[in-house]
Amino acid sequence: MPGFPRPILLGIALSCLALGCLVATSAVQAKEQLVLAIGGEPEQGFDPLLGWGQYGNPLFQSTLLSRGRDLTPQPELATQWSLSEDRLTWTLTLRGDARFADGTPLTAADVAYTFNAAAKAGGRADLSALDHAQAVGEYTVTLHLRAPRITFVDQLMTLGIVPSAERDNGYSEQYGRQPLGSGPYQLVEWQEGEQLIVERNPYFYGPTPAFERLVFRFTGEDATLSAAHAGQVDIASVPPALAANVPAQMQRVIMESVDNRGILFPMQPANGEHAESGAPIGNDVTADLAIRQAINLAVDRETLVEVALHGFGRPAFGPADDLPWSDPKENVVAPDLTHAAEILESAGWELRDDGLRYKGDLPARFRLTYPASDTTRQLLAEVSAEMVRPLGIEMQPTGRHWDEIQREALHQDAIMFGYGSHSPQEIYYLFHSQHAGYGFYNSGFYANPEVNAHLDAAQAADSPEQANQYWQAAQWDGTTGYGLRGDSSWAWLVNLEHVYFADSCLDVGELGVAPHGHGWPITANLLEWRWTCEE
Amino acid sequence: MRLTLTNRNTQPRLRAAFSLGVAVLLVAGLIASQWLLGDAAQQMQFDARLAPPSVDHWLGTDALGRELWARTLAGLALSFWVGCLAALLSTLIALSLATLATLSARLDALVSLLIDTLLSVPHLILLMLIAFALGGGTQAVIIAVAVTHWPSLARVLRAELLQLRQAPYVRISRALGKSRWFVLHGHLLPHLLPHCLVGALLLFPHAILHEAALTFLGFGLSPSQPAIGVLLADAMRYLSGGYWWLGVFPGLGLLLMVLGFERLSSRLRSAL
Repeated sequence: MPGFPRPILLGIALSCLALGCLVATSAVQAKEQLVLAIGGEPEQGFDPLLGWGQYGNPLFQSTLLSRGRDLTPQPELATQWSLSEDRLTWTLTLRGDARFADGTPLTAADVAYTFNAAAKAGGRADLSALDHAQAVGEYTVTLHLRAPRITFVDQLMTLGIVPSAERDNGYSEQYGRQPLGSGPYQLVEWQEGEQLIVERNPYFYGPTPAFERLVFRFTGEDATLSAAHAGQVDIASVPPALAANVPAQMQRVIMESVDNRGILFPMQPANGEHAESGAPIGNDVTADLAIRQAINLAVDRETLVEVALHGFGRPAFGPADDLPWSDPKENVVAPDLTHAAEILESAGWELRDDGLRYKGDLPARFRLTYPASDTTRQLLAEVSAEMVRPLGIEMQPTGRHWDEIQREALHQDAIMFGYGSHSPQEIYYLFHSQHAGYGFYNSGFYANPEVNAHLDAAQAADSPEQANQYWQAAQWDGTTGYGLRGDSSWAWLVNLEHVYFADSCLDVGELGVAPHGHGWPITANLLEWRWTCEE
Repeated sequence: MRLTLTNRNTQPRLRAAFSLGVAVLLVAGLIASQWLLGDAAQQMQFDARLAPPSVDHWLGTDALGRELWARTLAGLALSFWVGCLAALLSTLIALSLATLATLSARLDALVSLLIDTLLSVPHLILLMLIAFALGGGTQAVIIAVAVTHWPSLARVLRAELLQLRQAPYVRISRALGKSRWFVLHGHLLPHLLPHCLVGALLLFPHAILHEAALTFLGFGLSPSQPAIGVLLADAMRYLSGGYWWLGVFPGLGLLLMVLGFERLSSRLRSAL
């Protein structure tokens, strides 16, 4: 048979072999890199002293302890730890093999520096109880408290350890953009507003992560969804309402969470006062208890879950439903418009011909502000506004940018907020008057001396069990509380399930229960992630 | 021959009158629909979410079960008012500055510089900056569109005014000692009004498109208002799910309205 000369055939064979090798190599490379679009770019960079990693697992840094699936402390950098009998001194022994990504060892001096600096930085880590941290040996550190604080252990599980400023490559003002830590990954490049590229930390003391390189894309909801459908990302966070159509090559991954959404009401009347930021404080309508109680009774939380979350969630009645520090009796059995109307009538809110209630000349009308880029909060705002309309209360859903919310709306509008933490510390922030106007937490200026007393008692409690009784009493102690039966300071609406589209070849292991955290909580078990396909 | 000439003269006017009639009818319909519909655009039907177009739901429904035909009409009405106010404000700015330019050579140079400067900056970027600085919302969009759209019309009006100022009757009037205000009010402005009308009509579709673009990009009206830009931005999120009607019908509505007013202004310009 006449055919190609042998040298040509050999050439073709060798070319095919080379091409095959090239394809195989690129397939291996593809498995080494994971592209994530899970949102949540931190504005202040990756600096734990300023709040990075506040919900745990700071990626670049390690924490002293980690949180187990049952939320109990587990060894991480610290192999042993103890609290003195007077509950004022923590003593921790560090592991000896922890190194920063530049190869230098992590010692007690770094831990002491981190805690002392974080206490001064005034970031989101609550170290107000810390008097000072002290390295008492190369690998032993003591943390001295001013007063017993039950939630201090949470800082040991969330504050990432940074290198002391007094050493080479130590902490500086630029740290947030050039983080150096002992976590599983190190930063390669961060293009703000676009993407973050990280690679394995060769000195990480734990198991080697399966993926050499991670690329985090910071895209909006629309772009993330499009990228998922185009197969450009390996895992994407999607709003529950848009999670119905799973892209062909992907699977839907659901992560249980304590992440919730609810309406925070301004609690003070508008007296012309302004916060330090210049934002006006107070709202005459929401300052009225009857309005808040009526809204809580009128919203149909089951329908909200169905409509706004497409079923990916459950009704919420408090900031920490099902957690030990939340009162399990706190709930509304069904929406009760009749009872809500009675409450409004008896409080002097009269229904007029225009369908709106008035108290004197004051109409029952106020803005319900939400971040305009968040589909879930927009849907929740619009649907809950529709639900209270028959009562004669007009909540005006208003989408704004976060900057604008901080500048104008934060203390005078009802805000569609989201919270949810593995620590009761959040309850303290949200409802203690000491934190009124402090960041986003108690932005409604809620203040109730009885609630303050319960919260302070919880912090000073001997044990978590005893503290939980006080946390629950702050919600409702039979007379007053921040919850539904008391001041109704919020209308908690839904607890979310976090929904992701993940490549069918990506095994994300056993996911824990996520706190509120704008996408990052799914990286908590990153070291368990595996690529299951052979390419 | 005379007959042919007459036809040529009357045809554009007839066409313009026809277009005007249609436009007036459409606008009247749009306004009446808002009055008749009440809050139909906001009414939610939780059991009919994302329903495709059908006999029960003419143009389909959105994620909250709101009828898309009602929301499209409400969006067009909103766009119409925003476009009207922005075009009117823009025309007033153009007229004022063109008039100012005729008062002295220095002012003329200043106005010309302003016009050239604004024309050299891309519209959309300036629009976004102004709308963002004003905090978004209907008012901010109207101001942003008005402030960025006047230069072209101002240039035309200025040229027309400079030409009119040299007209014999104007020069005679000034020679007779009439005041500047009298000349402006009695001689110049009546000539400018048709230009202003056509100019405003030409600005109108631009204003509507830019309002929709600003809102689509998140710098305009609140996502809770049924503006066309909001409907299109919402539709983007659901397109990958196959919910095509969410984007097609509001987009078509916008296209028809913009094309309609574009055609009307062209015909009016030919007629005048």
